[in-house]
This record gives sequence, C-alpha cells and structure tokens, in this order.
Amino acid sequence: MSDSLSKIIRTTADVMFLFITVFGFYIVLHGHLTPGGGFQGGAVIATGFILLIVAYKLEDFLGWFQKRTFQNCEMSGLVLFIGTALAAIPLGYLFFMNFLNGTGGLFGQAVPFGINPGFLNTAGTIPIMNIAVGIEVLGGLSIIILYMTTGIRSHEEGE
Amino acid sequence: MIEIIHILVLIGILITAALIVWQKNLVAAAVTFAAFSFLLSIEFYILQAPDVAIAEAAVGAGISTAIYLIAIRATHDQEVT
Amino acid sequence: MMRTKVAWFTLVVLAGSLLFAALSIPFGDPAMSDMDDYFIAHGQEQTGANNIVTSIVFDFRAFDTLGEACVLFTAVFGVSVLFRLRKKGEDYEYE
Repeated sequence: MSDSLSKIIRTTADVMFLFITVFGFYIVLHGHLTPGGGFQGGAVIATGFILLIVAYKLEDFLGWFQKRTFQNCEMSGLVLFIGTALAAIPLGYLFFMNFLNGTGGLFGQAVPFGINPGFLNTAGTIPIMNIAVGIEVLGGLSIIILYMTTGIRSHEEGE
Repeated sequence: MIEIIHILVLIGILITAALIVWQKNLVAAAVTFAAFSFLLSIEFYILQAPDVAIAEAAVGAGISTAIYLIAIRATHDQEVT
Repeated sequence: MMRTKVAWFTLVVLAGSLLFAALSIPFGDPAMSDMDDYFIAHGQEQTGANNIVTSIVFDFRAFDTLGEACVLFTAVFGVSVLFRLRKKGEDYEYE
C-alpha cells in the first residue's frame, strides 16, 4: 500500500467513507433500540478508515489522521467504559449497576413496556457504554491496520 | 420465496468455501473469502440474528480481507510442492 | 495413493458424524429455557433498552464485555510490539 491507487478508486473511497462513517455512528448511537451496538458500529467505522488507508498513500493518510488520534481513541474508550462501571460505587450501587435507568435525567426516560416506537433517551448507562466501546473498537481496529501497514513499509525499505 | 433465497445462499456458501481452498492465486482467494463472509452474513440475517450479521459483514468482509491483503503483500508467494 | 484414501476416509467420517450430531438435535426446541424466558419477560423493564441483545451484553453480562475490551487492547498491544519500527542497523535478536 505504498502508492495510491487509481483515481476511480480514490473518488469512490472519498464518497463511500462519508456514508460508512455515518452508518457506523448510527449503529453505535442506536445500539439500545435497533440491532447493533458498540462493537459492530466501531468495526463499521474502522472499515471506513481502512478503505482510506488502502486507497491512498500512507503519507497522505498520516497527514489527515495521526497515529496518536487512534491511540487516544482507544484509551479514552477504555477509560470511559471502566469509569461508567466504577461510577456506580460512590453512588451506593453495585459494580456495573444501571443507575441512570428510570431516573428521568440523562438517558433516564421511562420506557413503555411492550412494543414502542423507540425513544433515544432511555436505557440508562447502556448508551454510554455503547459509545465507549464504539470509540475503543474504532481506535483499536484502525491502529492494528495502521501498524501493520507501517511495519510492512519499513520492511520493504530495509531490503 | 424466502426458502429459495435461503437454499441459494447455502449453495453459494458451499461453492465459495470450496473455491477458497482450490484457488492458486492468493489475492483471488482473499477476495473469495470476502464473498464467503458476505454470504455468511446474509445467512445470519435470514436466521434472524442481525447483530451477528453486522459484525460478520464488518469484521469478516472488511477488516480481515485488508489484513490478508497486507500479509500477502509483505510475503513472497512461492508454491512448495 | 494411500494418503489420499486415508484423507478422504477421515473427511467422510468427520462429515457424517457432524451431520448426524446436527440432525439428531431438535432444532428450535431447547430443553432448558428458564433464563431465556426471564430475559424476554423482564429485560425491557429492568434495563429500559428495547434491544434485548444489547441489554444482556451491556447490563446483565457486562463483565463479558469488559473482558472483550481487554482482549482487544491486548491484541493492539501485541501488534504494536510485533510491528514496531526498527532503527537503522538494528536487527532482531534470536535466543
């Protein structure tokens, strides 16, 4: 992947990157209402970044997104996940307790039982954990491909 | 109607799984693996597991194909008889 | 070829036993379904999520998701160690 591919592939990657990213964020944010969740949405967003890595030169991609960005994504996702789980203990609940459900505040709207249209402001800590895992998977899967591409690059130059 | 699609998808899974093994060209085998993952995700969707279908389509058809292509690029293909 | 015959025999025996094991189980009729019935009946009102799979993954069995996040972090760590950038003239050391 040391040189960029043809103009058709680059233009298609430009157009598809937008739709793939928007679809991935939709899956992450609606994880508690529709099929999907943090891991699936994060993998879809990472697929968009990998499309850009494959279609363009590595220097071009590293000019747009740095490695530091994905590492920070991974670490902040993990910290947000653990922090949401640990935040229940000072409030007097158990570890991983869903303490926001039904309180009326953030993500605390009472859900009507049975078949309902699906309200976004429900389900307590589940959307927060969805977003945390989504950010973490997005950073992790992208940084794996990025490390492999740069490692191959140095290997090819070394020969 | 759904039974016909189901049987066609299952036959396609068998054909692509056999083609992955029988391909001599490694890049063609990686692309066939992507097609296999896509058909498998359709099969999961027919069996009413949309969560697994999304994960299979993203990880199997997207990311593992990229990993295989990077690995093929980094190594030499030399047939050992 | 003897090896080809042995390979085909092993393949046929494996495929036959796996198909027999798959066909002898009644499909869609689990023997014990107490946990399934509980999750389907009480999952929506206890967690507030419409998607029961997400409510199980992120609330009832969140420790599993914590382990999965740690697995992904370990995978990233291993890849970053394996594909690290080497300096000029530095070579791998073999024990």
